[in-house]
Amino acid sequence: MTIELIVQQILNALGLGIMYALIAVGFTLFFGVIEVVNFAHGEVFMLGAFVALLSGGILTSIGLTMGSVPYFLGILVLVLLTGSIFGILLERFIVRPMRGAPDIMTLLITLGASIITREAVMLFVPNGRNPQPFPKLFDVDSINIGGVLIKPETILCIILSAVLISGLYYIIEKTTFGRYIRATAQDREAAMMMGINVKKVFIITLALGSALGAVAGLMNGLSYGIIKFNMGFAAGIKGFAAAVVGGLGNVYGAIAGGMLLGFLEIFVVSTVPDGSSYQDLISFVIVILCLVFRPAGIFGERAYEKV
Amino acid sequence: MLFITIQHRIVPMFQVLYKGDEATSCIKQGVALLFYKIFFAKAKLIIKKNWGEQEMLKKIICFAVLMVFLMGMVSGCGSKKSETVKIGFIGPLTGGNAAVGMGLKHSAELAVKQANESGKNKYKYELVVVDDGGDPSTAVSAANKLIADKGVVAVFGHFNSGCALATVPIFHKNGMPILVTAAIHPDITKGSFKEVTRIMTAANVQNEFAGNLATQEWGVKKIALIHDKTDYGKTNATQFADTAKKNGAEIISEDGISVGQQDFAALLTKIKAENPEAIYFGGVATEAALLKRQMADLQMNCLFLSDSGIISDTFNKIAGDAAQGMIAFNIGKPLEDLPGGKAFIKAYDDAKFTEPHEAYGHFAYDSANVVMAAIEKAGTTDKAKIAEAIRATNNYPGVIGNISFDDRGENTLKLITPFISENGKWIPYYKSTIKVVDKKVAKQ
Repeated sequence: MTIELIVQQILNALGLGIMYALIAVGFTLFFGVIEVVNFAHGEVFMLGAFVALLSGGILTSIGLTMGSVPYFLGILVLVLLTGSIFGILLERFIVRPMRGAPDIMTLLITLGASIITREAVMLFVPNGRNPQPFPKLFDVDSINIGGVLIKPETILCIILSAVLISGLYYIIEKTTFGRYIRATAQDREAAMMMGINVKKVFIITLALGSALGAVAGLMNGLSYGIIKFNMGFAAGIKGFAAAVVGGLGNVYGAIAGGMLLGFLEIFVVSTVPDGSSYQDLISFVIVILCLVFRPAGIFGERAYEKV
Repeated sequence: MLFITIQHRIVPMFQVLYKGDEATSCIKQGVALLFYKIFFAKAKLIIKKNWGEQEMLKKIICFAVLMVFLMGMVSGCGSKKSETVKIGFIGPLTGGNAAVGMGLKHSAELAVKQANESGKNKYKYELVVVDDGGDPSTAVSAANKLIADKGVVAVFGHFNSGCALATVPIFHKNGMPILVTAAIHPDITKGSFKEVTRIMTAANVQNEFAGNLATQEWGVKKIALIHDKTDYGKTNATQFADTAKKNGAEIISEDGISVGQQDFAALLTKIKAENPEAIYFGGVATEAALLKRQMADLQMNCLFLSDSGIISDTFNKIAGDAAQGMIAFNIGKPLEDLPGGKAFIKAYDDAKFTEPHEAYGHFAYDSANVVMAAIEKAGTTDKAKIAEAIRATNNYPGVIGNISFDDRGENTLKLITPFISENGKWIPYYKSTIKVVDKKVAKQ
């Protein structure tokens, strides 16, 4: 294998891993703070992509041209908003009524919400049954640097994810509200006794995690140019796998887990003969291995800190 | 008059209750009895008045003999004038393929109508239509219905391979000739049954054609294979590879992908490093479009070939600009480019059917004509002889060209068309301005 080839594959892996990481962060936040496994998280990924596709019309009607930076920022804001609203609705109508019920109930009801969302998109989006072409937001060809082809979309996705994850880090570590989130994650009762509005913390956590998931959906559309009503399921499974591998409840573990998954997939495809047959299988194998040998995930020791 | 009305209106009604010929003879007997009873009562009265008991008996016997003789004359005359022969059509008239099925049915009706109007034939033909619903189990009961109808001497039809695979052994067991119209699975003619023939080109032929075209005409020597691990995709890729290997080409890699997978960057990066001259993909539109897009991202401009599964607007829509130059092979040929295509389109339009003939109507039209020509040639309603005659069809001038059958029952006329994606549309390669030159696609 030549050096260009290796660099090319590393770039491929980065693009893939960062997307998994963004989804995984949501899973891990929900589990760490609210102690729910949200199976509807894959659907916010799909919704993000569809909102990005459908909002094109609105943005051009207010005078933004496709391919410009404000246009892209407009889409980004809309996607973030959609994700947050979906998260808030989920908290209000799905998670909150289920508080105190056995965990399995919450899990099942989020699964139900996921199916409803998916089918609704299939039914109500025009021609929603078929895959939808996603427009190229920037009309730039791949850049060739010393034999390595760099897709502008990949670079954009990496930068965007880095910005969003730093933003999340800032909110959690530096703001008062972040301190509330960390406190709730550590010990819900104690946090309540300290006067923290736990309800509000839950809402904000779901909004934050879902917004990141929605952006991952937008990035998926950008990278592959195609979105489907059922794309959320596979993405959700992979994000969940990444979160488990990183240690559920640990945000940095989720990012590391996502990256690990991305790199492993690319590694297997590029080195094992007929490896692409197993690309989608790898995440499951890793989860099983992880649950057998290291149930708390890579960053398991610090699990008590959670977030 | 009454008799004709009965034959046209009541007989079909009874056919639903009884099976085929039984119904006809049953009604004939019934009618004869009715006539006899009415005349008998009337005659008895008249004769009794005029001649007395003794004479009456004689007259009655005479009259009865006359009646029987007359009845025999009537029915005998009917069959001698022009015997009606039934041929069966089986196809998907309901379900997901109903539109195609209606096109097949109307085209068959057109052929039968033309044959009956031509006045050249020994027999008069009647089309018996049954619905296979595109579903193998429905197809089996539909096939049994045709077999139970004693008047049906030959059958043609089927669009879904699953249906044809299910019914072909049944037709064979009952000695019913079946001409498969539009189902493409290679195994349909696997048994080499003498009753089974096929007018449509089988699926494997498109891959052999593709393999020969790529390696011999376009000179491709290094090929990378990708397939979607489904029966469909894998079979296509394997058959293409076998033909290519036979022609001396090298298969440098073979990779499976999953249906629904999105990211092929790693796979394509790996393949790119091996410098193939062509990539063949066995699968369907969505994955093909994603592969083509990501090939463009990696600036891979080797030939990209695929099967008929990707020829759809979905491919062009999703692949966008990257779709340009994609090559795929399909069974059949655009109707207007076929020898009898224009005449068929005109005749079909003139017949003013409510549904269009769809993609395969002309195959049903040809099937009906081949079957009727074989019955004329056999000159009998014996099914075994008709099956023989269908198989012996030699250069029958159909819409698709000159039809003959080989030992297996396959049409020796193979219709395969390479298509190329040009400006967001699938265009037959021979009409396109984009050509393969030196293992690259370029505008001429």
